Parts: sequence; structure tokens; C-alpha cells
Amino acid sequence: MAEQWIWLVPLLPTLASAWILLGMLFGFNRGERGERQTALVIQTASLLSLLLLLALMFNAVPRQQLPGLIDITTWFSTGDYQIKLNFLLDGLALGLSLVVALVSLLSIRFSVNYMHREAGFQRFFAILGLFNGAMLLIVLAGNAMLTFIGWELAGVSSYLLIAYAYDRPNATENATRAFVTNRIGDTGFILAITFSFILLGNVDWPSINAGNENKAGFSLVIIMIGFLMAAMAKSALVPFSSWITRALEGPTPSSAVFYGSLMVHSGVYLIIRLQPLFEQSPFMMFILILIGALTAIYGFLGGLVQTDVKSSLMFSTTGQVGLMFISCGLGLFEIAAWHLGLHAIWRAYHFLNAPAMLHLMHKPARPVPAWLQNRKWLYLASVQRFWLDNLANAMLVRPALNMAHDVQRFDEQIVVRAVGLPNSVGAISSLAQWEEYKDDNTGKLIGDSGAIGRGRGALGNLMEWLASVFSWFEEHLVLKGGDEGVISLIQHAGHYLNRLEKLLSQPRYLFLMIILTFAVIL
Amino acid sequence: MGVLTQLLLIPLLGALLILLTPKQWQSLIRPIAILHALATLILAWSLIASFDTSLTSLQFAEHHVWNSRLGTAYSLGIDGFSFPMVLLATLLCLIAIMASGSINKMMKGYYLLILLLETAMLGVFLAQDWTLFYIFWELTLLPLFFLIDRWGGKQRHQASLNFVLYTMGGSAFMLISLLVLFDTLPGHTFNMQAMIESAAGLDPDVQVLIFLGLLIGFGVKMPIFPLHGWLPLAHVEAPSPISILLSGVLLKMGSYGLIRAATMLPEAVVSMQNFLAGIALFSLIYGGLLAWRQSDMKGMIAYSSVSHMGVVLLGIATLNVTGLTGAVMQMVAHGLVAGLMFLMIGLLYERTHTRDVNHYSSLIRTTPRFAFFTVLAFIAAVGLPGTAGFIAELHALIGGYERWGWVVVLLTVGVMISAAYAIRTVGRLFTGPIRDEMRDIADLKATEMLAAGVLSLGIVLMGVFPARVLELFSASVNVLGASFAKFKGL
Repeated sequence: MAEQWIWLVPLLPTLASAWILLGMLFGFNRGERGERQTALVIQTASLLSLLLLLALMFNAVPRQQLPGLIDITTWFSTGDYQIKLNFLLDGLALGLSLVVALVSLLSIRFSVNYMHREAGFQRFFAILGLFNGAMLLIVLAGNAMLTFIGWELAGVSSYLLIAYAYDRPNATENATRAFVTNRIGDTGFILAITFSFILLGNVDWPSINAGNENKAGFSLVIIMIGFLMAAMAKSALVPFSSWITRALEGPTPSSAVFYGSLMVHSGVYLIIRLQPLFEQSPFMMFILILIGALTAIYGFLGGLVQTDVKSSLMFSTTGQVGLMFISCGLGLFEIAAWHLGLHAIWRAYHFLNAPAMLHLMHKPARPVPAWLQNRKWLYLASVQRFWLDNLANAMLVRPALNMAHDVQRFDEQIVVRAVGLPNSVGAISSLAQWEEYKDDNTGKLIGDSGAIGRGRGALGNLMEWLASVFSWFEEHLVLKGGDEGVISLIQHAGHYLNRLEKLLSQPRYLFLMIILTFAVIL
Repeated sequence: MGVLTQLLLIPLLGALLILLTPKQWQSLIRPIAILHALATLILAWSLIASFDTSLTSLQFAEHHVWNSRLGTAYSLGIDGFSFPMVLLATLLCLIAIMASGSINKMMKGYYLLILLLETAMLGVFLAQDWTLFYIFWELTLLPLFFLIDRWGGKQRHQASLNFVLYTMGGSAFMLISLLVLFDTLPGHTFNMQAMIESAAGLDPDVQVLIFLGLLIGFGVKMPIFPLHGWLPLAHVEAPSPISILLSGVLLKMGSYGLIRAATMLPEAVVSMQNFLAGIALFSLIYGGLLAWRQSDMKGMIAYSSVSHMGVVLLGIATLNVTGLTGAVMQMVAHGLVAGLMFLMIGLLYERTHTRDVNHYSSLIRTTPRFAFFTVLAFIAAVGLPGTAGFIAELHALIGGYERWGWVVVLLTVGVMISAAYAIRTVGRLFTGPIRDEMRDIADLKATEMLAAGVLSLGIVLMGVFPARVLELFSASVNVLGASFAKFKGL
């Protein structure tokens, strides 16, 4: 029953990260004095989850059977759909989780010295802990939904660490770029999860893998495409490759774990995890080879022309990941898995070593090989990183921006006017304007919606119109026609009565009245 | 002598004392008035303890035959409809007198008339005989005419004349209706209870005619469109304490009378139900929009009263328990809210001598206490949850929905309009750039705080714990609602 404790593995680093964040909030680990405590907490948590994994391994391996799917509890269920909180502990998951836990622990240990006296020490480790938990969740989760949670948390922590120096515009822009690119892959992931639910009624990895192409047909291909898209974005395959070089903006140890060794491989992990699914479709396998090959070439050529340590490491990583995809596409999933594990450890060492590289190098770097130098167009393309960034800009960023502009214009010109909101022209936007109005001392502000009886926007104008109609009615009929009318009527009546009275008091009319009276009586 | 008679006599006694006060003791006049208003208040509110909310019949009833040939009697009593009004009237009278500190010409006459007015108003709510009711009804005119005409603003003569003419005109219709009723009924009595019983046998067409007469009489007072012509001028021109009484209590006399008339002639009300609701909704929006157009704050509150009394009429027109509960609740709530608004604006006017909202700005810095109570008053006028008005509007809305469905969405339009002018006024008064001439306005004094605080507390307490208040009149409302239920294919 030891495997029932597996949920602690991803949770421990996450808890450590929450603890550090609480400390930042309440101030019990701030500043340089808090560094020891912070480091202790995060290292202990990472060490514990590694030890727990080892214990699970030593518990299972001698018996020659791995527990497989471990159900902890049901997360939630609505109608026919239910999502369990379960973990999948097979050979792949166990091996990779050990790699993740080990590399994370070592990187964290390395960072304690590396980040010493950096502003944001605590923040760094809080995010790193979160990332550690997320990565462990990705490889251990028993269903696509849970993996997706880890997938997203890893994305978020990657965003936060790229923007670690958030006062630098470059860093924040690159972080946004990386995050948005990752989100494109996420749409694929969500699509795949949705279709798994619809087709299979279940998102547990074994159930997805048991999906039969003959039964589900084309829809199964959509699931594959979805997962492949997610994997391509996360592992920075062509055409998503450009974000990963931008991501090097973060502190070096974070680059090591994120892009050098762990997160960049999660796409490969996803494909290996779905091996039975992909094996059903030769077409998809071919796509894997194609993309892998393109990426490998991209990484190889790009790597040759780089002039700084981290970028060349990054390109070579991309190339290796491309190779792993080729292995997958050829059906050599086992080899891809081994490649993944070894490469992760090896690349982590490279990256962590990168800051000291210049001290260790005794001869100048090799120049760009002659065959590349001679082919000008290829050289240019390599230096320009195959214009992937420009391509993304032209095809996605600029249209999106233009559309945003159009929508904003629509909002300002039509919606704001119709609703009657103060727009940017009418509202006071600066302190200087405010002072000006204050000196003016009229008490009236431009665009002041408080003008008596004046409405703005469609409804406001309707209200204004209706109010003025009512007001006219009130003035002319109720007030003038009513009170003043009544009073003047009474005055007129009084006037006439007075005259009548005067006439009646004259003898001749009196006489007439008497005669009339008699006439009536008689 | 019954306790209700005492209630009527205490203010009268105060008026008499003031009349007899020698000229050199003029400083005693105000304390005497406050004392008697306070005594009336204490006596009225002490009845809460012995008022049995489960009873549907009259309580503390007194009955003395007056003229046996005419069937008139000196008959007093309170039930669930009149008791809240009595409580409200005594409270607002005290507050009005307390807020009259700035009246310093002809003090003797002023306080005498106010106390006389209090007796007359209480009489209207206490009377259980239509003749007595009519007498007290007309008696309120007398002090009010002089109060507006002598202590009012620039157009006071026109305002007071208008007020009296309108009300008298309405009263004439009311009187004719009452006489017709008296004449057609076999019992030949003016006793309200007896009339209810015998009116049930009348021909429906006659009932409608009689009810129309009463509707005009009470509608002028309430006021309902288009009989509200007297209201804007009278409210604006009256001195502020009198405005408090006008909108706080006098308007409620109209709706109270209408409820009594509806009790008497249920068949007529049922047949006119849609018409009443139509007028109510129109008044609601009409008053709201006109309030929105006013830059004179008193004018704004006056028109907002038209709008708020529309809710009362709508509640009555639903003829179901929920709606009627809303109507009575709105009467109480509007009494407090309008009272508070007129109190605040009146006190502000004393200090600045302008009621034009455009002349104000940024008062929150100079007069934070003012700002607090005024904002509370305006928020309550909108009927924000947590204030008494919300409970009332919600009941009226639910009751109306039960009867007419989606049409009552117009009520919420009215609420939105009221939000428009309330928020606008609050913004105008308290925010914006500081003005030099508004820099030295004194904040509320202790007694003024007390008056405003009592009203605010009432508004909030009723909004948060409405159960106790609803309980006061639930028995009577249930009976009335049940009496309509038998007519309904509703």
C-alpha cells in the first residue's frame, strides 16, 4: 500500500513553494536572513520527494511488478463524466520521475549558491518549487487532466522565471511571448482532452491508449493531433521553436531545468506516453518523423552559427529533441525514452556549467564550418533562425494586434458612445488636467455626466428626450394648466361675478328680476 | 379617557400652552413644543409593547356616539395599517420640530401650528369613523396653509394657495363619495367597520363610481399622476421642516386613505386593478425622470416622492399579500427616507442659502458628517439592499410579478432612474474641485446629528431586520389580501 502515498511526491515541492510564498507575504523569510530558511525548506521538500520515489521504486522493483494505475480518490464527477485523482506508476513514469526529482534537487542545490544575495531569492525558489511539483505531476499523473494541470503550472512557472527580472522590458516581453506560444499548444491539449471525453468517456492514460482507430476513426486522429500540437509547443519543435531561445532570459539554473533538461522534454514524454495510440496510425508516425527531422536540422544549423554559450546549448538541445521525435516516429519509443533521460541529465550539467564555461575554455570556439560559410543563403537562414519569429509575427502577432485595434476602435466609436461612457476624450486622465479644472473653479468637468437633465449614450439620450417631453407636459399642462389655470379661472370668475353683482344692484335690473320672478311664478 | 385620545390631546395641549405663553418668555416656546412632541412620541411608541400583532381587529378602540341621527361617532382605534403610520408621524413631527431651530420670526405661531398639524395628522390615522376622518383630513390643511404661506420661500403664496385648492378639490370628490355611500347603505352610519360590511352588497357599478371619487380625493394627496400639480411647488416653497412632514407623513395620508377605501370597496378595486397599476407605473417613471431634470434639490426630492409613491400605489394595485406588504413597507420607508433627505437638504440650505445642485462641490472635505448622512439618504432612496426601501421595492416587485409578470420590469426602470439622479446628486454635492465659497460650511451639530442619526438608524435597521416591522402590519395585510382573493380569477 506504499504506493498510495504517491500523491505526496508532486505535492511536497508545491507545499514548500507555498510556504515560501507565505513567508514572503507575512515577512518571516524576507531578505538575506531568510535565505537559509528558504533554501532549507525547498531542499528538504525536493529531497523528500526524491526519497519517496526511491522508496516506491525499491518497494516495487524486487517484486518485479509496478503498480500501474493508482486511484487515490475521485476529483469530481458530473453526469457521465468523472475525473479521478489517480497516478500512473509504470516503468516510464518511475524512471522519468526519478530523473526529474534528481535534476530538480541538484539544480536547486546549485541555485542556493548561485542566487545568493540576488533580489528575489525567495521568489525564485518558490517558483522553482512550483515547477518541480508541476513536472513531477506531468510524469506521474494517471490521466490527461491531471497531466494538463502540471503542464499549465509548468508553463506559468516558466513565464514567471523568464520574467524574473521583471524590470527589464526585454524579459517581460520574452516571457509573454513564450507563454503565449505555449498556450497555442495548450489549445491542442484541451482539444484532445475534450475529444477523449466524448469518444472514450474517460481521460485516464490507459483508456486513451486503448482507443481503437477502427472504432473511432478520424476522431482518434484529432486526439493525436491535439496531443502532438501540445507536445510540439512545449518541446519547441519547428515551427514553435523560436520561443525557447527567448526563454533564456531567466536566471541560468532555471534555464537549465526548464529548457535544457526537463520542461523541453515533456513533449517527448507525452508522445512516449501515448505510444500505443500513435502506433495505430502510420500517418501520424510519419508526421512525427517529419517534424523531428525538421527540428533536428533547425537545431543543428542554428547551433553552428550561435556565438554565445546559452544559445548554442539551446539549439543543440532543440536538435536532440528533434532526434527523439524521429526515434518515436520510427517506433523506437524505448530508445527515445532512454535518450530523453540521459539527455536531460547531460544537458542540465551543460547549462549549470554554462556561466563558468569561459573560465574552463582554453582555446577559442570553433568557427562556423566552411561548407556553411560557402552556402550564403543557408548561412543567412541559420543566423536568422529560419525567420520563424518573423513568420509568427506576420501570421499571428500582427493580425491579432490589428484585430485588437479594430475591436478597440469599434468599442470607442460605437459601444462607448452608445452606452455613454466617458471616453478617453472626455475623461480627466492626468493630474495636470485635474489641476487646470480645479483652478478654473467652475466645478464643471469636461465630459461630466452629471450635468442636470443631460443624458449620454443611447439610453441616456432616450431618457433625456423622455424627460424633456414629460417636463414640457408638466410645465404647460399640470403646473400652468393646473394650478395657475385654476387660480386665473377663479380670478376671472370672480371678476365676472363682481360685474354681475354690480349690474344686479342697479335698479332697472332689479326691477327686471322681479318681473321675471313673477313671470316664472305665474 | 383612552390612550388614543391622550395621543391626540398632548400636542393640542402643547399648542394651547404656546398660545398662552407671554411674549417675554418667548425662549420657552421651542422647549415646550419639543417636550410635547417628545411626550406624544413616547406615548405612541410605548404602545408597541401592548400592541398585539396577531390580532386583526381594532385595538385600543374608543367609541362615543356623537350624533346618533347622522350615525356619526367619535371613534378611534389602531390596526396594522394605522399603527405604523402613527409611529412614523410622531417620530417625524419631533424631528421636524427639532430641525426648526432656524425659524426665528413669529415663533409662537409656527410652533403652535406645527403641534396643531400633529394632532390633525394623528387624528387622520386614528379615526375609525369617516366623518371624523374627514374632519381631521381637512384640519391638516389649516395649519399647513399658514405654515407654507407665512414661513415659505419666494413663491409661498402661490404654493400655499395651490396646495389648498388642489386638496379641497380632491376632498370635495371624497365627500360626495362618502355621502353617496352613506345614503345608499341601509345602516346609515359612518363607522368604517360597519361601512365595510354593508358596502359589500352594493352594485358593482356604483362601487366603481364611489371608489373613483375616493381615488381622486386620496390621489391628490398621495399624489398620483396627474393630480400632483400642487406637490412640486408646495414641497419646494415650504420651510424644510414642513417639507419633512409634507412628504414624510402627509403623502402617507393619501395612500392610507386609499387602503381604507380599497378595504371598503374591494370589488371596485379589483375591476380597476390594471388601471391603478398603469397609473402607478407611469407615475413611477414620470416622477423619476422629472426628478432627474431638477437642479433644485428640493424639487428633485419632491418629484422623487411622486416616483416613490408610485411604488406604494403599485403595491396596493397588486391586491395580493406580498404587494400590499410592499406598499405599507414603502410608506414607512419613504417616510423615513424623504424625511432624512429633506432634513439634510434643509440644513444645507440654512448654511449655504442655495438649493441648486450646480452650486455645490466637494463638500465631503468640509462636511464629512453631512456627506455621510446625505449619501445614506440617497442610497436609501434608490432602495439599495440593506435599506428599508429595498424590502419595500422587493415586495412590490414580487407582488407585481405574481400578478402581471414581466410588465413590472418597469418598476426596476424606475429604480434605475432613481439611481441616476441620486448618484448624480451625491457626486455633485460631495466630489469635484473645492470651491472657495463652500469652504467654511459648518458641519452637523449634535442635535442635528441626533435627528439624522435616528432616521438613518431606522432606515438601516428596517433594511437589515425587517421582520419586526413586517410583523406589525402582517395580520391586517393578510386579512385585506384574503378579502381580495375571493374575487380573483387572479
